[in-house]
Amino acid sequence: MTVATPPPPSTGLSGAAWIRAKLFPNIWSGILTVVLVPILLYLVYRTALFVFVNADWEAVERNLTLFMQGTFPRDQQWRLVAQIFLFALALGVGAGTASATARDRALQAGLAYRPRTLGSVLRRFWSLIAFVLILLYFASTVTPWLVVLGAVALAIIGLQSYRLPTSFRLYGWLLMALLLVAGFQVVSGTTGRAWLVMAMVVGVGAWSLTESSRIAPGWGTWALKTVAVVVSTIVVFLVYSVVTVPGVGWDKWSGLHLTLWVSALAIVLSFPIGLFLALARRSTLPALRWLATTYIELIRGVPLISLLFLGQYVLGFMLPAGTTLSSISRAIAAMTLFTAAYVAEIVRGGLQSLPVGQIEAGQALGLSTPSVMRLIVLPQALRAVIPAMVGQFISLFKDSSLLSIIAILEFLGVRSLIHAQPDFRVTAHAETLVFVAVGYWAFAYAMSRESQRLEGRLRVGYG
Amino acid sequence: MKASKLLAALTALLLVLAACTTGGEDTTTTTAAGGTETTEGGEEPTTTAAGGEETTTTAAETEEPAGESLLETVRARGSLLCGVNDVLPGFGVVNEDGTYSGFDVDLCRAVAAGVLGDSEAVEYVPLVADARFTALQSGEIDVLIRNTTWTSTRDGQEGATFLFTTFYDGQGMMVPASTGFTTLEELADANICVLSGTTTELNLTAVFGARGIAFNPQVFPDNEQLRPAYEAGQCEAWTSDASQLGAWKATIEGEGGEEQLIMEEIFSKEPLGPAVRDGDSAWAQAVEWSIMATVQAWEFGLDSTNVGSYAGDDPNILNFVGADGFDPGLGLDPEFAITIIESVGNYQEMYERNLGPIALVIEGSLNDLWTNGGLMYVPPYR
Amino acid sequence: MTSPPPPASRVPPWRNIRFLRILGQVLAVVLAFLVLRWLAGNLTGNLDRLNMGLDFGFLSRPTQFQIPYRPSFDPRSPVTSMVLVGVLNTFLAGFFGILIALALGLVVGVSRLSANWLVAKLATVYVEFFRNIPPLVIIIFFAAALFTYGPFPNLREAILVGLPGSDSKLLILSNDQWGIPGFTGGRNWVAFAVILGVGFVLAVVVWAWRTSVNDRTGKPHHRLAWFLGVLTGIAIIGYLALGGPFSMSWPAQSENRRLIVGGFAMNWGFMSLTAALGLYTASHVGEIVRGSILAVPRGQNEASSALALSGFQRYRFVVLPQALRIAIPPIINQCLNLVKNTSLGTAVAYAEITALTQTSIGNGRPALQSIVVMMVVYLAFSLTISLLLNVVNRRLQLVTR
Repeated sequence: MTVATPPPPSTGLSGAAWIRAKLFPNIWSGILTVVLVPILLYLVYRTALFVFVNADWEAVERNLTLFMQGTFPRDQQWRLVAQIFLFALALGVGAGTASATARDRALQAGLAYRPRTLGSVLRRFWSLIAFVLILLYFASTVTPWLVVLGAVALAIIGLQSYRLPTSFRLYGWLLMALLLVAGFQVVSGTTGRAWLVMAMVVGVGAWSLTESSRIAPGWGTWALKTVAVVVSTIVVFLVYSVVTVPGVGWDKWSGLHLTLWVSALAIVLSFPIGLFLALARRSTLPALRWLATTYIELIRGVPLISLLFLGQYVLGFMLPAGTTLSSISRAIAAMTLFTAAYVAEIVRGGLQSLPVGQIEAGQALGLSTPSVMRLIVLPQALRAVIPAMVGQFISLFKDSSLLSIIAILEFLGVRSLIHAQPDFRVTAHAETLVFVAVGYWAFAYAMSRESQRLEGRLRVGYG
Repeated sequence: MKASKLLAALTALLLVLAACTTGGEDTTTTTAAGGTETTEGGEEPTTTAAGGEETTTTAAETEEPAGESLLETVRARGSLLCGVNDVLPGFGVVNEDGTYSGFDVDLCRAVAAGVLGDSEAVEYVPLVADARFTALQSGEIDVLIRNTTWTSTRDGQEGATFLFTTFYDGQGMMVPASTGFTTLEELADANICVLSGTTTELNLTAVFGARGIAFNPQVFPDNEQLRPAYEAGQCEAWTSDASQLGAWKATIEGEGGEEQLIMEEIFSKEPLGPAVRDGDSAWAQAVEWSIMATVQAWEFGLDSTNVGSYAGDDPNILNFVGADGFDPGLGLDPEFAITIIESVGNYQEMYERNLGPIALVIEGSLNDLWTNGGLMYVPPYR
Repeated sequence: MTSPPPPASRVPPWRNIRFLRILGQVLAVVLAFLVLRWLAGNLTGNLDRLNMGLDFGFLSRPTQFQIPYRPSFDPRSPVTSMVLVGVLNTFLAGFFGILIALALGLVVGVSRLSANWLVAKLATVYVEFFRNIPPLVIIIFFAAALFTYGPFPNLREAILVGLPGSDSKLLILSNDQWGIPGFTGGRNWVAFAVILGVGFVLAVVVWAWRTSVNDRTGKPHHRLAWFLGVLTGIAIIGYLALGGPFSMSWPAQSENRRLIVGGFAMNWGFMSLTAALGLYTASHVGEIVRGSILAVPRGQNEASSALALSGFQRYRFVVLPQALRIAIPPIINQCLNLVKNTSLGTAVAYAEITALTQTSIGNGRPALQSIVVMMVVYLAFSLTISLLLNVVNRRLQLVTR
């Protein structure tokens, strides 16, 4: 929560005094400054020369679509646009609801609340905004502009959830979850087991929203909640059996789209496994602990590329004859198993950081072990590990570049397609590489800044 | 306490029993495969004069114990998974709009046309050289048509069966013309660019080792990284199949690069052809005859313009185009040849469309028809 | 009078903790076992169907391909030799990468806290830049910028930096290999190595002796000086006694100007990989160093000022020892990451174990077994480094009274 604090007093240095104090505090520093400044200026000059004068950005300009979506079928591009819109809306709703929650808490505690300003948001995500502007600069049609404007508009609309009264908070989160799932399925299609994912989200929502403790106390509450979940599941199933829109499965995704999704899917899918492994590693049952430790230490001792190789070359044999997994599915499986070990260590660290007194207090209150876990340990521990999880996501995002070694066309790998084209076989290697590096940097930098910010905020309370 | 100990002992016993029964499992395939050595060899290369025996895959003893042939699976799926190259000019490239084109790509389309009746019902799976055979073995692709050389080791150890050779090639060496090298001996101790996971790597080692010439291989996973290294001079020579070298020579010179020289010496045999998984003769036959149909059409003088309107009375051609519903029992539609040739063209059309632009000429090469002195000779369709 | 023992309570099995625990373990083990058995069953079944085996016999068969930049490797030697070459190459890249990362990381970390605004900002930019780019991109960039598209000529026309006053060359620079001066072992170099080893042991004994002298009498131990003195003395005596067991060797081009003879030759793959990974890991190490210095309590700085210690003395005697204690476990973790990242050598044609594994799989060796061998190699490296971490950790832990 953002508490209004007065800005720190300024040091009062400006101009010549500042230069004196900051650049020449003592003789050695002064020499260093004098040596570094010309070198720096020269480097900046050469970089600017390369970027603005010498470089031929045509390779990037003509292949922008390849970079962004790779070999995704061009006639299905509307799905990606719809996904961007839905995600923008979800982001807006989520941000609005989170701000509203923060405001509520501040008001409850009697503290002043300083709402986020547009300027502060722009400053936080300046690298992403700069990258989007670079993309728009290279765009040759008007579509990207429309997409960006539409996304911004929808995000602003979603932000209006900030105005909703407190009782609608839960609906806000539920809406965001629904929009995220819908965004995924608008590309991957609503056939097959897609209904299951939506049913899970809707079921969780139905469970939380069924306020039945007044109607039927005790066992009746549980019964009513179960009924709500079952009913919602059936409704979702019926809706999905009517609305069957085949989509483009993730085997066909590539480019930056694939990079982002591979990282997101790997971290989301690895979380339950990682949580289970962390609990198993801390359990008093020696068999469980030994199994979990072996797995974690094994996976953490080998590079990701070896697991990707295993996935590519060996996983096909481990499935019954006739079943096949696409190349990308195998890569996602390998990355999930890899991340699960690291997530397990992160969660274990979070669990260890919890003061033992919390568990003892829970036991003193007569709670059973599962209840202690559910109500006391996990909420605190998981909140504490959020910065580390974001760090792991950044790491995973960067490691997704390894998929280019096994010939999956993600953001870095798309370069091989571009340089196989007759026009760019010899030229523009540097330009495409620089563009890819800038893309990775923009996302990773924004995420790492967010992680640092979260860490700062969540630290309050642990001293 | 006692109860838990008893339970633990019981469980241990259970586990031991379970472990003992593992040995007896999955025996059906083991004994079958161990018994008969698979002798699938597709067609022998018809360099032996006219005596080439038809060893069309008859090793029926070792196919899938249960389950259908890949032919039914592909038909049920409605699309063909074809392993191709996506960065080799002339054989398999991805165009700017995301579509594939090339000689091998056209062969994929021919197979799809023959088996499924629709030449566009193909899903292309781009593969690097290292991953070719594991993709085939694990079932990720149905057929591998990716400028792959047929060797004994690959037949035996990679779980693959090679079919009709679609392109006779050989390994050569390319150097910048300015160096003036013309023999392999002049490349002692030199850096030589080679692609990882190809027969070129092993051939290079074998040939240079046999002649006692030392060399230093520069191994790259794909041509996109290899070519800049070659042009920058990090390698003095580039070795690959002569057809690929020809393609790259034309490309490099066409894009304003240095003049290249391909050495006269061709130091290996590289018969390129499609490969399918071991143990599925129905599928192998379907693929093979679909591909051979393109050569047969060329021999008959049929191409995409006139295959559907044949009005003569040569019985061989009539059988070929499926007049009177002639069906030799390959599991293919009687008019499969018409479908193939109309949508993809005959062998010559495919060759000239894809390989002509990279300066490969069919006349006078090994890939000419047998009637013109080349090696393209398909079994009769009767 | 002893009272009778309380009657044993009958707890039903579904609430008996002990029973549930055992049951849980049994279920977990059985489940894991069944899953593994299903996977293994599929694996063996599919392999048998394709007539491929699960044995490791391929390790004793000839490699059949040449390894880049190792002309002494005979392609007819068994695959185990190839694996050893891969291990050696991985070790070399990892070792030198770690050296660069530690040295540069220390500099960067301390610079970030400099009073000079420019230096601090530069270090911050360095860290934020390199931390957020995938190492693979950095490696490819180095290889392309320095070598493939770089300013150096081919090896046949390499730049030769001569040694003033003699014919020998100091440096040979090309876009393929660089030659730097090195040592060659003459006669008796084995004996010299043995003498050096003995000298090292002696020096360690001297170190311990001086420490105990200091403990007993309080006199300054100067143990570092003693250590270096003993080691250098024995080395010099050994060198003179054995009549020059090794000598400087200068790099030179071979007859056909395609090889570098003498000195150390570093190939472009090695250099790009090591430099890129060194720079990348240095950014992480810099962050760790900065965090650990900041974690030293403020009071230590103030106490040092109260004791009139200069800035340098404060760093050397108060801050860095405490900071290192905090920093070493994460730094060793980063070293481990660097060794694992050497697996990216496939992108620059450097023949470390991953690249060799990929090549051998592509040339028909069984995939699963080759990958298992590769994973065992990396596990061995990880284990060694983790053991080192444990040893160092235990030594550095504060003995709390």
